Amino acid sequence: MHELSVMSHLLERVETHAERLGASRVVAINLVIGDRTSIVDDSLLFYFDMMTPGTVAEGSSLKVRRTHMRCSCPRCALDYRPDGFGFNCPTCGLVGDVTNDGTEFLIESLEIEQ
Amino acid sequence: MSVQAVRIVNIVESLLVSNDKAAGVNREWLENAGVLAINLMSSPGAGKTSLILRTIAALGERARIGVIEGDIAGSIDTEKVLAGGAGDAIQINTGGNCHLEANMVHRALDDLDLTTFDILVIENVGNLVCPTHWALGEHLKLCLVGAAEGHDKPIKYPEMFAKSDVIVLNKIDLIDFVDFDRSIFYESIGALNPGVPIFEVSCRTGEGIEAWADWLDEQLVQFRKKG
Repeated sequence: MHELSVMSHLLERVETHAERLGASRVVAINLVIGDRTSIVDDSLLFYFDMMTPGTVAEGSSLKVRRTHMRCSCPRCALDYRPDGFGFNCPTCGLVGDVTNDGTEFLIESLEIEQ
Repeated sequence: MSVQAVRIVNIVESLLVSNDKAAGVNREWLENAGVLAINLMSSPGAGKTSLILRTIAALGERARIGVIEGDIAGSIDTEKVLAGGAGDAIQINTGGNCHLEANMVHRALDDLDLTTFDILVIENVGNLVCPTHWALGEHLKLCLVGAAEGHDKPIKYPEMFAKSDVIVLNKIDLIDFVDFDRSIFYESIGALNPGVPIFEVSCRTGEGIEAWADWLDEQLVQFRKKG
């Protein structure tokens, strides 16, 4: 249920940026969220619908671009998505190195009317 | 009818930037007081409070411990650590929130006597997911895991293990009874966070506590050299 806190922080930032940019309305909020954050989109949208009325983001759309956890195999140089059972390379079975992919947790851009 | 143009403005900032800023303020406050802060995270029942009690006893006069106890409700743990010799301790009840945030810790710091301890342990709410993203102002993130929880925890909760500065495996006295496979545990942590120090302890028997406490004491020495 950390989506509630995340949404509250997000809307605070959106308000700040909208004011700074002189936006009359926020049309869309574009986020990049990696799977490793364990943020659930449906949960985020639930709180978004609940918390935006009366704010500058009322009526806007929340768009989430997802990124995924990835590993790289030091032996075969293969870049792959782990299967959920471990971090083993699907080709040679060696435990790969987990990369930074999937850790994104960003407000990428705002679509606004001025 | 006039058509309103929509402008796309790049922002590219962390969703939690305001929490990160508040954490920075806490860190500065702690550093001015010469206090090393640890964010202690684990699932419920892994032994966070037991580890704090063992650490207080093992460090003795070498370093005094202060504690912020984060729990959904109750103040049992605060009473336990004060009885166990903590320099000062305070309870934060999150009232249902699954993690601590920097502003909660800020208020707690205001109520603590920072001159009564050298190391502040912030015991987060028992949860391997949510606390990961919320910086509190700590210098070290400690992930504690109990052997009975299983060797697959790093695979199931990768972010917690990837972001930790130190990992403590507790309840090793149970290891032979719970089919805990050390090679899988160590291999997955190696993939997520190569080189991270890992200590095996039993808070019940005291095994391994001395090595852990010595390491922590050394962190305090290094921290003070930097300060």
